[in-house]
Amino acid sequence: MPPKNNKGGAKAKELSEAKQENDNSRPQTVFERAQAAYDLTRPPYDKEREELGGLHALSTVEKTAYANWFCTGSDELSCLSKKAQKELWKQVNETNRPLRRGQIDQPKPDQWGKDKLGRNIGDYTVPQYEQRIEKQAQLTGLKALGRSFASKRLYASKGLVDSSTGERYILTEEDIQAERERRKEMAALKKDLYGEKMGSYSTDPEWDDIVPIPQMEPEGALAAIAYPEDYAESMSYLRAVMAANEYSPRCLKLTEHIISMNPAHYTVWLYRFANIQHLDIPLLDEIEWLNGVALDFLKNYQIWHHRQLLVEHYYPTISGSPDEVKRFAKSERAFVMEMFAEDAKNYHVWSYRQFLTRKLGMWENEEHGELDSIEGMIDEDVRNNSAWSHRFFLVFSNPRYATPESHATEPDAGVPADVVDREVAYAQAKIQLAPQNQSPWNYLRGVLVKGGRELGSVKGFVEQYVQNLGEAEKEEVHSSHALEQLADIYEEAGDKEKADLCWKRLGEKWDRIRFGYWEWKRRSMKTAAASS
Amino acid sequence: MELQKARHVQYFQRCYTTVLPSVYTSMDSNRLLLGYFTLAGLELLSSPSSASASANEGSAPTSPQSLVPAADRQRLGDWVLAQQHRNGGFCGSPGHVQPDTVRRGWNEAVSYPAVNDTENVSLPGTYFALLTLGLLANEDADSVGTAFRGVNRIGTLRWIKRLQRPDGSFGEVVNADGSISGGRDMRYCYMAATIRWVLRGNEVGKELDINVDGMVQHIRKSQAYDGGFAESHMGESQAGYAYCAVAALSLLDLTAADADNPNRYLQAGIPNTAAMVRWLVSRQIVYTESDESDSDEEKEEEEDGKDDTPAVPTSEMATLNVTGTVLGGFNGRPNKVADTCYAWWVAGALHVLSDALPEAASLDKVSGREFLLQKTQNAYGGFGKDAGSPPDLFHSYLGLAALATMAGDETEKGLGQFDVRLCLGKEAASRVDRARQFWAPASESDTTDA
Repeated sequence: MPPKNNKGGAKAKELSEAKQENDNSRPQTVFERAQAAYDLTRPPYDKEREELGGLHALSTVEKTAYANWFCTGSDELSCLSKKAQKELWKQVNETNRPLRRGQIDQPKPDQWGKDKLGRNIGDYTVPQYEQRIEKQAQLTGLKALGRSFASKRLYASKGLVDSSTGERYILTEEDIQAERERRKEMAALKKDLYGEKMGSYSTDPEWDDIVPIPQMEPEGALAAIAYPEDYAESMSYLRAVMAANEYSPRCLKLTEHIISMNPAHYTVWLYRFANIQHLDIPLLDEIEWLNGVALDFLKNYQIWHHRQLLVEHYYPTISGSPDEVKRFAKSERAFVMEMFAEDAKNYHVWSYRQFLTRKLGMWENEEHGELDSIEGMIDEDVRNNSAWSHRFFLVFSNPRYATPESHATEPDAGVPADVVDREVAYAQAKIQLAPQNQSPWNYLRGVLVKGGRELGSVKGFVEQYVQNLGEAEKEEVHSSHALEQLADIYEEAGDKEKADLCWKRLGEKWDRIRFGYWEWKRRSMKTAAASS
Repeated sequence: MELQKARHVQYFQRCYTTVLPSVYTSMDSNRLLLGYFTLAGLELLSSPSSASASANEGSAPTSPQSLVPAADRQRLGDWVLAQQHRNGGFCGSPGHVQPDTVRRGWNEAVSYPAVNDTENVSLPGTYFALLTLGLLANEDADSVGTAFRGVNRIGTLRWIKRLQRPDGSFGEVVNADGSISGGRDMRYCYMAATIRWVLRGNEVGKELDINVDGMVQHIRKSQAYDGGFAESHMGESQAGYAYCAVAALSLLDLTAADADNPNRYLQAGIPNTAAMVRWLVSRQIVYTESDESDSDEEKEEEEDGKDDTPAVPTSEMATLNVTGTVLGGFNGRPNKVADTCYAWWVAGALHVLSDALPEAASLDKVSGREFLLQKTQNAYGGFGKDAGSPPDLFHSYLGLAALATMAGDETEKGLGQFDVRLCLGKEAASRVDRARQFWAPASESDTTDA
């Protein structure tokens, strides 16, 4: 039969020529081997005809042989009369050329397909190809074992009995582990052979019963993210178990996995909490786990919301025992301090600390109170505004005397005078350490307002930082905040000229970047004076 | 130093056309936010008003082609709407959307949908989705008029109402059992107020509207002893919360349309306005680096080695009376370092607050602008958090927002005019406003049609 594909034939010729140069005509590639096998199944003049490009190139004898070969192989042979057949065979005999014929189709160079890298498998060397076949066989074997695992699992779940042994089917942990290993092997083989990726969930038999819900999104969506390998798959399993309201240890593990990649996932935390509750996980264990996560993701908010929920649920179980509350307060504070070692101004952590103070009653006068700790933090960094703010909360929200819900900016008659005195003295002592530190200056103002006292009540203290104002060379200002407060003290007392001078000097020299503001203060006072 | 407009255009276009790197995975639950910043940035860099300033360069003042291609807008709008929950409100990300096939079905026992995933609806998601839809409208009346078609207005308003706590604050999500999750965060007040304004929640009757007075009282309680605003009562003041507080109040005033006192809520919600102004202007600090010179990087490194914190502003007196050009950064809290986004939060808060004041106190805008342009503007486009930080979408957009806000009516060359209350370019904000007509009472829309 003439070749169907001339191109293929030509290529085969090239290949066979190349081969001859290398090795004494031993086929190198898969295609060459197939071609060689094919050649063994046909007479040499057919190969020759193909290589030379047509019948015309053959000798007369070979032309006749070819015609004979062609005719004897075709179905038309039976159409000939007995006599004609006999004549044909006679001629064949006289020509004395082989007539062999096999059942192999002529190989095509691309009939093996391509591998994952787009390489033509026909160009593989024979050992390479054999390796590939072996892997495919392995995969087939593994799949068969996987099917029997699935059957066994099904039978076990239905409580069926193995008729050959008379025992019930039982799926053991070893079976599952073996399947897990098997899937890993299969995933590796699939990736190797076909470039197919199998995620860690689709290869885990524990998740076989879940049909993942993939993320539905059109092409060209906004703000698409190059997700890390496992992220998209784990999210699709999360959607599925959340939709099914499943609460189980595997779901708990799934939430941990997702949190490790996207801690700001707002529903995974809520879902994790629901799992904790359904599985009755000890809250302290969860808090312990959370510590590590918090230290890994310092800026995350959800972690602290979760912690707050845990404490809300844990507290009622210990509220009857003051000792336990104390112990818990101390361990929580210890962790909060660990967080502050990383970032002493972390807003979420301070916010949580306030919650904790309220919840566990860690006020200044309690044995497990916060005051010592906060003083320690201010001593460590007198400019830590968060610590100052927490102190203000601690002192002025203390339920022992503070009016509930009293605003931070309004006087509270409930606060005892000695507490106000103490706080004024505290702020002043810290100002002396660093006069140009606005945190204690702000604190001092806040304390005076809370105590219902005039700014002027600390005039003497403030004045030490400002000398000879407006007197050219002799003017000395050690703190712009003092100068500002002095202006407010003068304004409060109705001494507008002096207040104006303070603002003027602030803008001119002592705090130039706020020149516009100081000028505005000056104008505002004048406008107010004019209109009143 | 000038705004490197071409670089910023490249930066936002990169964010628009390419996949964000995997470090953004931790923001995967807020992709609507990322999308909004991308589009709003492109919009601000190509709005009609962004061209007027560059007209004096000699080139003809043509209205620029929007960098958000008209051909993409419908598709992007559909993408946003695909994140709407069937009960109203939007999920923060496509990853939080449960397909309708899952949501469908009925649980006979509780007479409720079998899958009640209301916790996937998020307040930030809803806020960014609505503004994005308005932003994506084209200027023509048809497009603006239908920008909110497909939005479940009543469902969303009902959800927002459920999100409000008895103390007036808002959470982030409502759980299936009706409980509210999320902090008592001032940002949520701002977002809720914006959503209410967009959906005209004040016009649907009291039983559907949020408790406005409760919200104002909650904000009022959150002013801190130093005059700033905290996330909630007795917390530490922080500039972002200051902006959210005043902008929320201002949006409430916008819906109240009280002719006698247009700043009713702004006044009611801030116990001490003078203290707040004082606190805000105090956020500007003289930026110092230990004798660094920009060109001499080796020297800088050497000094970095000696001192762990070379860029920490020393608030000592010496830095305050320096003369000449200074770099005026903004911090978010006292004694913290300067950060790009706080230039926006502070300038924005002060700008909104000035509505309620007879005369606005001004920041040192010259030095504030120089700080951003010289220190946090990235050579390859975008803005980083602080000097030397790589750019990110959040700081890149808010850096532009800060420059546009500080420039005010004079406009920063190459940037459009800015609606400070919505943190959005003026033209886009105007489209959002006009798109709200979709829900206008019949009589009102009749008159606008005529």
